[in-house]
Amino acid sequence: MAHLHIKNLQAGYGKKLILDNINLTVEQGEMIALLGPSGCGKTTLLNALCGFVPVRHGEIFAGNRAVSQLPAEKRNITMVFQSYALWPHMTVAQNIGYGLKVQKAKRADIDARVAELLRIVKLDGLEHEKVTALSGGQRQRVALARALAIRPDVLVLDEPLSNLDAKVRLSVRHEIKALQKQLGFTSLIVTHDQEEALVMADRIAVLNQGKIEQIGTPEEIYHHPSTPFVADFMGAENHIEWPIHDDAFSLNLSNHDDQLDIYFRSESAVLSAQPKSESTDFNAGLIISGHVEQSVFFGNNYQISVRCGKHTIQADHNQNLPEHTPVTLRIPIDALHVFAKKEKHSDHQKTNIVSAKSMRMNHVC
Amino acid sequence: MRQTTSPNQLKNHLWLIAPAALMVGIFFLYPLCFSLYSAITLDSGEFTLAHLNKAFELYSKDILFTIIIVLISVAILAVLSITIAALITLSPFRSLSKTLGFLYRLPLFIPFIVTAQMMRTFLAKNGLMNNAFVASGLLTPMDTVSFLGWSGIIITFVWKQLAFSTLLISGAMAALDDSQIRAARNLGASRFRILFQIILPQIVPTLGVAMVLSIVTMMSVLSVPLMIGTGSPTMMTADMAFRINSYGDYHVANALGLVSYCICAGLAWFYLRQNLKEKGAN
Ligand SMILES: Nc1ncnc2c1ncn2[C@@H]1O[C@H](COP(=O)(O)OP(=O)(O)O)[C@@H](O)[C@H]1O
Ligand SMILES: [Mg+2]
Repeated sequence: MAHLHIKNLQAGYGKKLILDNINLTVEQGEMIALLGPSGCGKTTLLNALCGFVPVRHGEIFAGNRAVSQLPAEKRNITMVFQSYALWPHMTVAQNIGYGLKVQKAKRADIDARVAELLRIVKLDGLEHEKVTALSGGQRQRVALARALAIRPDVLVLDEPLSNLDAKVRLSVRHEIKALQKQLGFTSLIVTHDQEEALVMADRIAVLNQGKIEQIGTPEEIYHHPSTPFVADFMGAENHIEWPIHDDAFSLNLSNHDDQLDIYFRSESAVLSAQPKSESTDFNAGLIISGHVEQSVFFGNNYQISVRCGKHTIQADHNQNLPEHTPVTLRIPIDALHVFAKKEKHSDHQKTNIVSAKSMRMNHVC
Repeated sequence: MRQTTSPNQLKNHLWLIAPAALMVGIFFLYPLCFSLYSAITLDSGEFTLAHLNKAFELYSKDILFTIIIVLISVAILAVLSITIAALITLSPFRSLSKTLGFLYRLPLFIPFIVTAQMMRTFLAKNGLMNNAFVASGLLTPMDTVSFLGWSGIIITFVWKQLAFSTLLISGAMAALDDSQIRAARNLGASRFRILFQIILPQIVPTLGVAMVLSIVTMMSVLSVPLMIGTGSPTMMTADMAFRINSYGDYHVANALGLVSYCICAGLAWFYLRQNLKEKGAN
């Protein structure tokens, strides 16, 4: 295992440029999650690392080797695929041992390594099964064992869990993470699921439209998103643009008269059914009054849609509320993700990278 | 859930398929059965093996020749079409594989008789190919050999069937999940290894279908042995035509037909058995 260093990487298909100026370092034994919406270029980045998509510009170092111009078979970077990509005409043991067979390892060594890996991924006893006889979770573990068998410098995983059903996904997720800690492999895992990224990764890189928006620990990404896109993608689904000329909204921030974009999560909005009172008992950054539009049961709580003028705000609450109940929402200052807009009336959307770049992080806490 | 049909409903359904069944019966089953019947009966309707005996007596050499020609052709066909399909699927040179992907299809749209005519002018002693060699100084007119004869027949069969079997095989290769090939590549496997260890084992059934269908086609072509063959030995189709045209001898012609039918059926049986064995092993 070695560290992976990506420098100014540029890649694409035909004339289309998909990845631009990617810089990323994965330390030895670290797992980084590449998180981003579908179509943002995550798979393309992994393919560029593995040598399936040509690198136009920049360099990739696996350990101290520059690999960007090597063919895929010489890179020693292996991939775990979303579709498992097992070979159906081979048994479990043949699949896992294939890389060693290619390297012309001795029969006995291959058998020993395959047995070791089968034990590690908890599939002992299945070595002579056809892979077509296995369940999805078992197949993905075979794929993982196969990719690890040759002791690659770097392991990349492309949405390894998204073809599994919810329950199996949790257990395989846990196993991959445990294995990664135990064996200490350097890895890059792609996902579009923020929870998966938070749970599995040592650090997260959020990708948007072929560019990295933010790299940081899960806590940093979750609590201190540096762009509106990251805030929105990490689950801060409520968005308001300040100033709003409406008495229902009041904001307690130092930079009050700026043009602001404000994001917050539904669970950080504290909802009370009393009408708005002047004596705020805690340090609320934003106070909003409105009335209940809809209330949906979510198991451990209710998600209440609150209508406030033109806006609909989502808030979590522990009990059901009838429609049209007047309510007040208080959002603590440190739960607000506030971004200053540079120019007036710039209507930036989460998918518009140009306007996202022109914004300065302005987090108040 | 499948609905069970009452006998009454079944009758109605039978009426629906009757026209199609009738067509198959009149235009396919009846002539086939009649041909088989004619091969093993006298004019009076009595059972006999005389026609078959005569067919073997006169034409056993041609039967053997036919089998050998077909087997050699099909072996060359398999190698070439796998090579072309593999080049299309695995080649890192995109434009090459695109051109190849277009070119190999052309013979699909050329009838056998035109192919035979074309090959005749191409392969003859003073044909296009030899003329080109002579013009380029590679051969003198003295050294040229005619490829008409058994080698010409094989060349023509392969040339014509190559498109069809490559189409099937490259289709099967393209249907494989691309990530299977990628997985092998990043484990260090070369393209050769991938072809033989990952791709071919998975397309054996398609390869079998392509080869069996090609064999049946080759067994039934008349124009190629007539136009490119040298007369003796020749292929069974030419013998059948000869029996009918020269002697009006339908019995022996049908007996030869029965033999060629048995050869095809034998191959099909062999193929099916292989296929079932593999299914059983899974
Ligand atoms: N083989 C390809 N040829 C051309 N464009 C492609 C190809 N594969 C992906 N793309 C394009 O590249 C972009 C990024 O795709 P991808 O990396 O697969 O996204 P993700 O994995 O993040 O969902 C998409 O816009 C997609 O349309
Ligand atoms: Mg993808």
